[in-house]
Amino acid sequence: MKLSKISRVAGREFASTAMTKGFIIGALIMPAAIGALMPLVILLTMSAQPPADSGTIYILDRSADVTDTLIERLSPENVEERWAENFDQAKDRAKSMLPAGEEKIEQGIASAKSIIKSPNFRTIPAGPDADIDELKREMQAQVAADGKAKGDIETVLAIVDIDADSTRKVNDDEGYGGFQLFLRPKLNDETVSEIRGSIRWSIRERRYANAGIDRTQVVEITDVDERDSQEITEDGEKKASTGITTFIIPMVSLILLLIASMTGGQYLLTTTVEEKSNRVVEVILSACSPMELMTGKILGQMFVGLSLLVVYSWLGVFALIYMERMDLISWSTIVLIFVFFILAYFMFASLMAAIGSAVNEMREAQSLMTPVILLMMVPYFFFMPVIRAPNSMLSTVTSFIPPISPFIMIMRIASNDPPPVWQTALVILVNAVAVVVFLWFAAKVFRVGLLMFGKPPNLRTLIKWVRMA
Amino acid sequence: MSQAVSMQGVRKTFGSKVAVEGIDLTIPEGSIYGFIGPNGAGKTTTIRMIMSILFPDRGELSVLGKKSAVESKDRIGYLPEERGIYKKMKVGSFLMHMGRLKGLDRHGLKSRVMEWLERVELADVYKKKCEELSKGMQQKVQFIASVLHEPDLIILDEPFSGLDPVNMRLLRSLIDEQHANGKTVIFSTHVMHQAEQNCDHIVMIHQGRKVLDDTLDDIRARFDPRALHVDPIAGVGQADAVARVQGVAHVTPVEGALEVVLDEGVDPQLAMRSLLEAMPMNRVEIKRPSLEDIFIEIVTGGKRGADAEQLRAELFAEPTNEGEAES
Repeated sequence: MKLSKISRVAGREFASTAMTKGFIIGALIMPAAIGALMPLVILLTMSAQPPADSGTIYILDRSADVTDTLIERLSPENVEERWAENFDQAKDRAKSMLPAGEEKIEQGIASAKSIIKSPNFRTIPAGPDADIDELKREMQAQVAADGKAKGDIETVLAIVDIDADSTRKVNDDEGYGGFQLFLRPKLNDETVSEIRGSIRWSIRERRYANAGIDRTQVVEITDVDERDSQEITEDGEKKASTGITTFIIPMVSLILLLIASMTGGQYLLTTTVEEKSNRVVEVILSACSPMELMTGKILGQMFVGLSLLVVYSWLGVFALIYMERMDLISWSTIVLIFVFFILAYFMFASLMAAIGSAVNEMREAQSLMTPVILLMMVPYFFFMPVIRAPNSMLSTVTSFIPPISPFIMIMRIASNDPPPVWQTALVILVNAVAVVVFLWFAAKVFRVGLLMFGKPPNLRTLIKWVRMA
Repeated sequence: MSQAVSMQGVRKTFGSKVAVEGIDLTIPEGSIYGFIGPNGAGKTTTIRMIMSILFPDRGELSVLGKKSAVESKDRIGYLPEERGIYKKMKVGSFLMHMGRLKGLDRHGLKSRVMEWLERVELADVYKKKCEELSKGMQQKVQFIASVLHEPDLIILDEPFSGLDPVNMRLLRSLIDEQHANGKTVIFSTHVMHQAEQNCDHIVMIHQGRKVLDDTLDDIRARFDPRALHVDPIAGVGQADAVARVQGVAHVTPVEGALEVVLDEGVDPQLAMRSLLEAMPMNRVEIKRPSLEDIFIEIVTGGKRGADAEQLRAELFAEPTNEGEAES
C-alpha cells in the first residue's frame, strides 16, 4: 500500500464531499448560524411579550367578607412586589436546573424583569346585590366596541363572582363555597393566574381568620426548607447536579458521536455506490489497489466526520463558556469523544464500505442498510438506563460490546458518575481490536464486491465473498 | 527483446463458469497486439488479470518484468471496457486526479493535461463538468487518463466502441503514435476489422481459450484464399455458367457480383484463368479472408454455409443497447 495513493484518494474523497456548497451550508454553516441566532431568537420572543394588561376588575362579593382583602391583595404596589418575588424564585430554580452560570442567570432574570411588566388593576366592589348580568353586558359591549383595548384602565378585564358561603360554612356537613371568573378574551396567562391566585389567597385568608387560625403559623408549619444537596466524593463535597444537567451532557455527547460517525459513513456508502454504478471504479483500480482505494476512502470520510465533530463540539464548548458552566464537562471527556468517534467511525465505515461495494445502486443498499441502522438505534434505547445507573451491570456490559460500545461508553463517561479509568482504557482496547476485525471483513468484501455486477447480494453471499477473498 | 506481458497456463473461473482456460501468451515490448473474439469470449477477464484486478486461479503471469501489475501500475495505462468518470468532477480536476494517482508530480501536470486536451480537440472543456460532455468526448477524456502518465504498456479494452468514424480515426492515429514511440499496446475488440487496421499481431480468444496467436501477415498467408469475387459482364444471371467452370465448388450471388468457392486443392490463379476464358468479365479477384472469416473457419473447423452464417450472426451481432443500459 502506497501512502501517496491513499492520501490522494482520501483527498479527493474529502474534497468531493466536504468542499461542496451543499455540505458547507447544510452541515456546517446552518448549525453554526442557528447557534449564533439562538440568543437573538430568545431576545425576540421576550420582546414580543404582550404589553402588561391593565384594567378594571369588578368584585361581586356575595359573602361581603372577601372584598377588602382582595382589593388590598390586587393593589398595584402589592402585585408589583409579588412579581419581584416570583422572579427571585425563578432565579433559584434556574440555578439548580439549568446548565448556566449564576451570573448568566442573574443577567437573564434582570432582562426578563425589564421586559415583563406586572399588570395594573383597578378593583371596583360591585356590592353584594349587584346584577351580574348587567356587569356581563357592560363587558360584552366593550369587547364589541374594541376587542383590543386592554391597556385602558376603564377596560373591564374580569368579573369575580364570589359565593356567599365561600368563607363561612352555612352548615358543618357541607364544605365551603367557591367563586367564578368571567374573563375578557385574550388576556395574558400571567394576568389571569394573578387574578385567580389573589382570589384564592384572599378567600383562604378570610377562612383562616373566621376559623381563628393564625396564618403565619400555618405557613411556618407547611414550609420545609432544604439546602443544596451535596455529593460526598473522593475529593470531598461537591454540589449534586440535578435536573437536566444530568442528562444534557451525555445526551449531547451521544448525539455528536452518532451524527459525526453516521454522516461520514453515509457519505462513504454514497460515494462507493456512485463509483461502482458509474463504472469509474475500474479506472481507479488501474491506478491503485482495492485496499489503497478503500483505505483512502475511509480516511477521507473520517476527515469529513471529524470536521463536523470539531465544528459541533466547539459550538457546544462555546455555549458552555457563554453559560459559564464549563465545570459540567471536562476536557478529557471532549478528547474521549474524539477517540470514540474514530473507533465508532471505523466500524461503521467498514460496514458501509462493504455494503457500498457489494451493491450496484443506492436502492439495493437499503435492505443491507436496515440492520446497520437498527444497530445505530440501539444506543438511544440504552440512554435512560445508562444515565440512571452509569455503573450498573447493564451499562458496564453493553459498553464493552462493539460496535455500540463507543456510544454507551461516552454516555457513561459524560454522566455524573464516570466509570473508572481502567474501564475506559479497556473499552478502547476492545474497540481497537474490533476495528481491525471490521476492517478485515470490509476489505474482503470490498475486493470481491467492487467488480461484481448483477444480482444484489444478501448477507450469505457477502460471507461467501469473505471466504473467497 | 524483453517481454511486456507473459502468461503461462492461466486459468480463471467464476463459480462453475470457466472464463479463461489455459492461456499461454507472450507479448514482446514495443509490439501492438489485438485481442479479438466475440463478446463474452474472455478478453476482458484476460486483460483484468494482466492488470492484477483479478487474480488467476492457476498459472504464471508477469507484467513488465514484475510478478504482478500492482508493482508496475504507474507504468501501465489502462482504459477499461466499463469506463466511468466522476460525473460531478471537472474534466481538468479528473485528469489531474488520475495523473497524480498514477504518480505524476503536481508540477507541470496542468500544462500536460491542457496539451492532451488540445490534441484531442477538447481544449475548451477543462473547466466543464464531466457529465456535461457527450459520450464520445468522455471517451476521449478517458483515453487521455490512460496515457497521461506516459506508460510503457497501454491496455485498451474495446477502445473504439461508441465512437463516430471521425473520432475513431483520431483515436487510431493516437494509438499508432504511441506504438511508434516504442510503447507496447494491447487492445481488445469484438469488431475484427478494427484489429486488422491497427495491429501487427492478433490473439483470438474463443470460449476462454486462445485459438489463434500470430502476426497478421502470417495469418493471411496461412488461411489462403479458396474464394474469388467474380463479376461477369453479362451479370449475375451467369451464375450457372460460372458454376460449370472446372474447379468451382459452388457459387453464391453477393452484392451484385458472384462469390465463387473453389474445390479443395485448386490453385486460385489457375481457376481465375479458366474463368476468364469461360466468359468476358468486368472483374475477377481473389477474396482476401477477413479476420472474421478466419475466426469462423477456426471455430467451425472449416465448414461453410448456413451454420457458419448463423454463427457469424450470433457472434458478431453488434449489441444494440450495450453501454446505453447503464447510462
